[in-house]
Amino acid sequence: MTTMMSISDMYVRFETPFGLLEAVRGVNLEIPAGASVGIVGESGSGKTVMSRAAMGLLSGSNVRREGKVVFNGRELTAMSKEEVRNQFGTGMAMIFQDPMTALNPVRRVGTQISESLRVRLGMDKKQAMQRSAELLSLVRIPDPEAMLRKFPYQLSGGMRQRVMIAIAISCNPELLFADEPTTALDVTVQAQILQLLSDLRRDLKMSMVLVTHDLGVVANHTDFVAVMYAGEIVEQASTTELFANMKMPYTRALLESIPNIEMKSGARLKVIEGRLPNPVDRPKGCGFVTRCTYAQQKCHDEHPPLVDAGNGHLYRCWYPLGHTIARKQ
Amino acid sequence: MRGSFWVQRFAQLLITVFCVTFGCSLLVQLLPVSPAEILLPVGSPEERELLTKEIGLDRGPIGYYLKWLGEFVQGDFGDIYYSGGTESVSSRLAVAFPRSIWLMIYTQVLSLAVAIPLGVWSAYRVGKRADKAISNTLFTLSSIPNFAIALILVLILGVRLQWLPTLDYQPYSAGIWEHFKHMIMPVVSLSVGLIAAYTRLLRADMIAALREDYILMAASKGLTDRRILWRHAFRPSSVTLFTSAALNMGALIGGAIVIETIFATYGVGFEVFAAISGRQYIALQSIVGLISIFYVVFNLIVDILAGYVDPRTRDRRVNA
Amino acid sequence: MRKRKYTIPTYFAFAWLGLAVFLAIFGSFLPVDGYQVIHGDFIDSPPLTPGHWFGVDSNGYDIFSGIINGARLSVFIAIVSVGLGGAIGALLGITAAYYRGRYDSFINSTFNVVLSVPNLVLALALVAVLATNVDINEAVPTWRRLVTLIISLTVVIIPILGRIARAATLAWSGREFVVAARSMGMRDRDIIKRHIVPNVLPALIAVGFLAVGVVIIAEASLSLLGVGIPDGASWGGMLARGRNDLEYNPHALYIPIIALAFTVISTNHVGDVLRGGLDRREGRL
Repeated sequence: MTTMMSISDMYVRFETPFGLLEAVRGVNLEIPAGASVGIVGESGSGKTVMSRAAMGLLSGSNVRREGKVVFNGRELTAMSKEEVRNQFGTGMAMIFQDPMTALNPVRRVGTQISESLRVRLGMDKKQAMQRSAELLSLVRIPDPEAMLRKFPYQLSGGMRQRVMIAIAISCNPELLFADEPTTALDVTVQAQILQLLSDLRRDLKMSMVLVTHDLGVVANHTDFVAVMYAGEIVEQASTTELFANMKMPYTRALLESIPNIEMKSGARLKVIEGRLPNPVDRPKGCGFVTRCTYAQQKCHDEHPPLVDAGNGHLYRCWYPLGHTIARKQ
Repeated sequence: MRGSFWVQRFAQLLITVFCVTFGCSLLVQLLPVSPAEILLPVGSPEERELLTKEIGLDRGPIGYYLKWLGEFVQGDFGDIYYSGGTESVSSRLAVAFPRSIWLMIYTQVLSLAVAIPLGVWSAYRVGKRADKAISNTLFTLSSIPNFAIALILVLILGVRLQWLPTLDYQPYSAGIWEHFKHMIMPVVSLSVGLIAAYTRLLRADMIAALREDYILMAASKGLTDRRILWRHAFRPSSVTLFTSAALNMGALIGGAIVIETIFATYGVGFEVFAAISGRQYIALQSIVGLISIFYVVFNLIVDILAGYVDPRTRDRRVNA
Repeated sequence: MRKRKYTIPTYFAFAWLGLAVFLAIFGSFLPVDGYQVIHGDFIDSPPLTPGHWFGVDSNGYDIFSGIINGARLSVFIAIVSVGLGGAIGALLGITAAYYRGRYDSFINSTFNVVLSVPNLVLALALVAVLATNVDINEAVPTWRRLVTLIISLTVVIIPILGRIARAATLAWSGREFVVAARSMGMRDRDIIKRHIVPNVLPALIAVGFLAVGVVIIAEASLSLLGVGIPDGASWGGMLARGRNDLEYNPHALYIPIIALAFTVISTNHVGDVLRGGLDRREGRL
């Protein structure tokens, strides 16, 4: 299996009035060609920043990015701004969380889809419009011709998200980043959109990075999973291995916070107590220590390294689940 | 739904015109002396009585206003009274209006032509040296009163270098260059403050727009910065700018009093001043009425244009 | 939180305004010639002439004395008008936004109507009406012109600051602590006094500085048009006189321009800095 994108030793820091904020701390991640990789974590864990930094979309005078990103055998982090831009649309594309804010409110749907086709693929106006209509039917929008003339505010959330997907896949990207693509949508629409993404990935032979806070989404739609916490990857494995053999107390806590159809009615959802550590002033031990039911003294004192359980299953914990010493309580 | 919005908006604006002109007519009633006495200082009591009747001052505040309004809507704007005779306000305005309209158009075009690139550029380079330099320079310039700029221009370009005429207005028929030569200094004096105000507005809205997700989305499509700035960020940020530009049109037509006086352009602003200082209250009322009608018309035009520039405002209206 | 540090221009603006206010209050006690003393031997002297450091204009008036005396008038008029206009505007704006209803829509539309008339037109019209004597041939005394001017400029300021007060009150009266105070049966007057006014005041002061600039410019414009304080005693009056003699005596023009511009730049800058501080405070809430 070839590698679509590999990220090594990535750090992202923001200069803020309160000090240097470390949003991503030493992330290493491989995205195999044709695979779907899930990145999971609660909000503030650095997953969105990480995916944007990987694509090279973070800008601003207060952003410091370190590390190496190789895309399709070429080093993105060594490219000029122009060269990176030439990868967008055709090489990689992104779907954003909120289709309400990510579509330009003053431009028509047709203009927004055909823009990439014209600018990136050099189509003329008529061709681009025709192709836009095809793309809209590809994302299962009824009456695509009428849709082309509408403004985003005239559409429902699900329709908007389909339009955004159409824009993202318009130039046949090899790698698609989907940043919480269903979070802003109604529950009934979420499943449809996720199914659409999975089908498109299969049909168009794309790789995909699915960023989400929902382990349930990851279970059904990805091949590999990386769990992020406080800017670091804390657990990483193939999806089947992760769910069969969970190592991190944090991952377990995330899973338990999802409502489940098999739960008895009246059963209480578990909430992860406490908050993420202050990103400007990190504690020296494990970042999850104050919220972890299994925490020991060592967890307070030493930062756990990322270790390999043997089968490519990585985790960052002194006392992983299944470890007998941890089960004192 | 849409129709009722326009009816409501139009009614609102008509009420503004009504209030402004009625306020003007009340000013006349507030005078400690009879306006007839002011208008005809040397006339006989009979002549004054005739004048009082003619203006409608014998009908009480409401009657006086209604008489004025009736004549106003028929296009009769009243007369200006001299010791020797009268002159109709319309004939004065026929001369003054075109001058003010040109002054206003040139000023707006120059201000927007300078402010739009500056605003877009400084929002793009926000916090950088170019942005700070633009902001500070414009801030300083905008704090200098426009008449001070006018006087400095006169001193340098008119008196010292003798490049431009310091007084008078020339119509197009006198030659395009002559026309512009007389317009440059008044227009520049009026534009400096507007450029600063417009740049500031646009910069703030552009900075907000550039933080939106749809800009990131546009960047992720592989578009150039230039295209993102102009095609994606400028349009949604320009509504406030154009609204405030339209609101300025009324003020530029009637409010450029000092500049029109300094350069002897003698447009509507000067007529307002002349009417006030000559105590020609009927003329004043009519001119102010006309200016407020302009204000209303520009307001409506902007409302319509805003719907095209930003379709969201259309939606808001339908919901309103 | 990081402590906000003022920059050098801000200190300069404060210093200049302090000086202007000082001159406005104590100007007449300074050992300077009266501005109307005619120095016949020095007519049209350029700046830096010993004894007349800012020069002398073509009437023989010393420009330095003129500037100091002008500060007295220009700054005095501005402070009084903005103070009065701000107080009335705040009263109207705050009560309108607090009590809402018909009273509010009346106040708000009145503000809008008055604002739709250009500043200078409004001030001019008021001056013209208020300074009319019963006997129209009798000259209007200076004190009455001064009062007239202040009233007119106050009327110009009322809707400007009133609208700011109204908007700020609208924003604050929806806040939890006001709703809580109301639900606990606190009297409206006390809520306004204890909760609304302290929160609206900072915004009002910031815009008040900008309004001082507006008034100084308006007063100068009126003087330039010849309807201000007679005798050309204010900075605007000096401009009006200096304008007549551009060719031989440009310093009679640019020195008052510099004084005016510095003052307006300073008030605008201070207003801006204060407003920026407010935005930061709001941003943290």
